[in-house]
Amino acid sequence: MSLLATKTTKQPPLAEQSSAQTPSRDLSYDVPEKPVVTIEAGKSWVPLNLRDLWACRELLYFLMWRDIKVRYKQTVLGAAWAVIQPLVTMIIFTYFFGKLAKLPTEGVPYPVFVYAALLLWTFFSNGVNSGANSLIGNSNLITKVYFPRLVIPSAAVGAGLLDLAIASVLLVGLLLYYGFPVTWAYLMILPLIVLTTLLALGVGIWFSALNVKYRDVRYALPFLIQVWFFVSPIIYPSSLVPEEWRWAMWLNPVTGIVEAFRASLFGRPFPWAALAYSGGFGLVMLAYASYAFRRMERNFAELI
Amino acid sequence: MRPIIKVEGISKRFRIQPREAPSVRYPTLRESLVRVVRSPFARQRNNGGRDDTVWALKDVSFDVMPGEVMGIIGPNGAGKSTLLKVLSRIIEPTSGRVELYGRVASLLEVGTGFHPDLSGRENVYLNGAILGMKRREIDAKFDEIVAFAEVERFIDAAVKHYSSGMYLRLAFAVTAHLDPEVLIIDEVLAVGDASFQKKCLGKMDDVTRSGRTVLLVSHSLAMVTQHCRRAILIDGGRIHRMGPAEEVVAHYEAM
Repeated sequence: MSLLATKTTKQPPLAEQSSAQTPSRDLSYDVPEKPVVTIEAGKSWVPLNLRDLWACRELLYFLMWRDIKVRYKQTVLGAAWAVIQPLVTMIIFTYFFGKLAKLPTEGVPYPVFVYAALLLWTFFSNGVNSGANSLIGNSNLITKVYFPRLVIPSAAVGAGLLDLAIASVLLVGLLLYYGFPVTWAYLMILPLIVLTTLLALGVGIWFSALNVKYRDVRYALPFLIQVWFFVSPIIYPSSLVPEEWRWAMWLNPVTGIVEAFRASLFGRPFPWAALAYSGGFGLVMLAYASYAFRRMERNFAELI
Repeated sequence: MRPIIKVEGISKRFRIQPREAPSVRYPTLRESLVRVVRSPFARQRNNGGRDDTVWALKDVSFDVMPGEVMGIIGPNGAGKSTLLKVLSRIIEPTSGRVELYGRVASLLEVGTGFHPDLSGRENVYLNGAILGMKRREIDAKFDEIVAFAEVERFIDAAVKHYSSGMYLRLAFAVTAHLDPEVLIIDEVLAVGDASFQKKCLGKMDDVTRSGRTVLLVSHSLAMVTQHCRRAILIDGGRIHRMGPAEEVVAHYEAM
């Protein structure tokens, strides 16, 4: 108390000194006509502020970079894990579904047939899963700093792109080994990856916002992803499904992407209609998810 | 001169978790099951009559001029942190309006987003980006930040191996090198040992005298009178008194 008292008695000269110096020393700031930011209660319509998002692209990059760095810290094998997971899965599936069950693959060797689809699927499902859990995992940021929250799930999905790139090295190896020629159809690979990213973003963003309010998502999502895996043509071709049920198969947006990916790799007719549907679905899902996210975003700091 | 921060009638209401209503008779299993199934969705149902809300802020209005250093004081639970969170856009007000005429950086905590597994260098970049610094800005200030934190030798070691003092010094150093027009600070000052505390306070002096607008929440009344010209006393979510810092502090001490 005495310390405080002596300090307080010393204050007036200091305070005067600082206030005397305050007016426009280094930083005389011209107050703009219009506010930079206006904070208001509960606007029912919150536009997606793309300029705000663009302004924090560096933060997006840093968060992706953090997710990648942290993922492989203190691991012996490091980024090799990105290959090991689909590789082992491919070997097991090849044995059970290719060798024992002899699933038809339209003439494509089973290992490369399943690995191509697993590559996209692993990226998609990991993206959705880590996106959905990203807000909860970053609650310390959400309650302490402001930035557009959409950056968090987006970074979580985007961080998976590196794993995808690493795992594709093995796909290139398999394609070379089985002697598939490089064709113009390879030009479709990049758009297909973009489309997969859009779809993963849409689903991941939506679940991330729901997850803040209803933690049930954490338990429901792995189950949903598992079901989604089996209804998608990953371990079997969509042509295996009886003709009269095939329309149901194509309702799943992943079907179009995976089949188009295989078509471009193995030089088969391209399923344009299905792909157009997947593209439309991806865009609508992303638009809806962003809108829903923006609406729920204002309560994140209180709910999380 | 026009204000750089305009706060007009800000209120914030929080909903307290409704207490489990002690039922007079024992509920049947079916009723309990239905309640359990519904409970995540049926939060507001038994709201009738009973007030399960609390006003953390009630009709708070004030202006801050450019270059002004404004103190905010008040007892625990008065609504100071809620006010800062509303101004930092972390939580949304229930009613009212705030206009900010400049870039705002808020330090509600030291070391937000520091990751224990990353090195000091990596954390400086990550933390800087989270607080709104551009990469080039961080590049330019990096050496200064590290020198200020006095952790040059350990900058490439994971921060989980840092002593808590080193950790706090590095975290403070990043935040101290922010360059916004408005700075909102919540008791994050003066961390570490005595000599580093002195350095932190010196940095605070620089910041408050540089002509930057600062909102400072503190329990240290000495600090408020030292740095601020004006102060606001908040109690029970309302502005109790606003005026010259010495006067407001004196009033608070007499309360």
